[in-house]
Amino acid sequence: MRLARSLMVLFAPLMIVLAGGPVEKLSPQIPKQVFDWKASGPDRVFDRKTLYDYMDGGAEVYLAFDFREVFVRTYADAEENELALDIYDMGSPAEAFGIFSCDRQDPEAGIGQGSEYGPGLLRFWRGSHFVSITVSGNEDKAEQAVLALGKAVAPLLGPDGAPPEMVKLLPAEGLRAAKTAYFHDNVHLGNRYFVSSENVLDLDPRTECVFAEYAAASGDSGKLLLVRYPDAGRASAAAASFLKSVLPAADADGAARTGDKGWSMVTTRGAVLAAVFEATSKAFAARLAASITGPPK
Amino acid sequence: MTSPLTRRDFIRGTAAAVLGASAAFGRTAADGQTAAAPAAKTRVVLVRHPDALDAGSAFNEPVIRQMLDEAVAKLLDRSDPVEAFKGLVKPDDVVGIRTNVWSFLPTPAPVERAIKSRLMDAGVDEKNIGLDDHTVRTNPLFVKATALINVRPVRTHYLAGMSGCLKNYIMFAESQPAHHPDSCASLGSLFLLPQVKGKTRLNVLCALTPQFHGRGPHNFSRRYVWNYKGLIVGLDPVAVDAVGLRLITAKRRIELGPGQEVPPVPKHIGLADTKYGVGTADPAKIELVKLGWLDDVLI
Repeated sequence: MRLARSLMVLFAPLMIVLAGGPVEKLSPQIPKQVFDWKASGPDRVFDRKTLYDYMDGGAEVYLAFDFREVFVRTYADAEENELALDIYDMGSPAEAFGIFSCDRQDPEAGIGQGSEYGPGLLRFWRGSHFVSITVSGNEDKAEQAVLALGKAVAPLLGPDGAPPEMVKLLPAEGLRAAKTAYFHDNVHLGNRYFVSSENVLDLDPRTECVFAEYAAASGDSGKLLLVRYPDAGRASAAAASFLKSVLPAADADGAARTGDKGWSMVTTRGAVLAAVFEATSKAFAARLAASITGPPK
Repeated sequence: MTSPLTRRDFIRGTAAAVLGASAAFGRTAADGQTAAAPAAKTRVVLVRHPDALDAGSAFNEPVIRQMLDEAVAKLLDRSDPVEAFKGLVKPDDVVGIRTNVWSFLPTPAPVERAIKSRLMDAGVDEKNIGLDDHTVRTNPLFVKATALINVRPVRTHYLAGMSGCLKNYIMFAESQPAHHPDSCASLGSLFLLPQVKGKTRLNVLCALTPQFHGRGPHNFSRRYVWNYKGLIVGLDPVAVDAVGLRLITAKRRIELGPGQEVPPVPKHIGLADTKYGVGTADPAKIELVKLGWLDDVLI
């Protein structure tokens, strides 16, 4: 009850504000204090040109998406434990889902359209925005404040948006939805799943990728990568490159058993490529790959 | 049946390193003596001490100084650490200590101070010793430096797979983003820049609190940092990084599982050897000498 009252006092003005808008316009709507943490230092906004000033070495992770700008506010308590609130305008709900989806490891926190919380880190997305709240210092003490701040910010970022259309291509049976990642280029594929030390699938900012994991009730399992290219020619060329570099012994179906890691397979339909990894059988690999050859899901 | 390249295969692939690529690092610059490592192998020293950090994870400076002394002495096969440093630098050298100020995991100040202290013990005037990170290209002392000491923590990196001694020189580049494509594949070329080439006398990869996995906006979370309490020291930045990568890989195998053991995709270490010839990445050509505490040494 005490917590509820505290939140009402702190966040009541937020309940009536309008949602949306460029990130800098969010500034007056975001609480200046959360429990013991007070806003410290000026709010900052970084765009595609200045993101390097904020992220020493990590900017490409965001620039590989349609990142527009990020609003940053830091909070500190009396012991100098810090929270950093980052609100990213990713340009579209698909891109916001994408940056969120590439780094999911913690339990759902029930904030926004998708979220996760683990010690020292809250991540969620809503509409075209992705949000992270990180802790420097006492992570246990900060937990309530981090979650409260996230719950205060999420309503400001509406309305909800749709995940990428590509996700709809994924077969539903056995899909581990929380493991699904959406991205564009090889940087994110390399972090999600190792295919090759080279960019054998010719991924770049214009390609759309979905990576998914499956664990079916039948006991079958596998991993599925879908890539949509700007044109069918690039999809075919990428499949040929994949076969040459990764599956040189593939059969006429584009499938091969890959040592003790199960079956891999590649196929294309139009501008879309499907690659399957670590499938428990060729039949299951074919079933996953059929996601692009069968009727729309 | 075919076997596509796995992450582990990729690491083994660095074994295709060019023999002798590290020759430039096998000879100390100051006295012209051949360094202690056998000709066919590049020596890297891993030193650990259980008291390098106290119970609150604060750095224990006297212990860290002792660790550095032991490592450098062993690296050069000298009995006295000052004599070892005299083998690295001359009194008239201008020495730039290339440190790392990344706020989440900077080069520990005790390590910086220990290096500077030993450089002065070796006869280098304090006014000729500089410490810098972001402005090394224009820092007057670094511009005229005749010797460089390369020191930074070891951690994973979203693009490069691992940030180590090779990546530490990216601030010498005219454009840092130019070295980011293809998993930072070109980092080895930094050691061929005129401001750098042939000047690196010592590489210290701080494994006191390594980071084995990165998350969040800055690719950092304290959950993935552990108190390893070690320093990895060598004349060859490629060999030092290759050992650092083994450590990170071993920790990831334990904590994240075999499927995530290799951070993606640390190709720059192998390419620093095979393409740029600035050191050796081949584990078979690296002599790893372990000193001190061996509990949970992992490698």
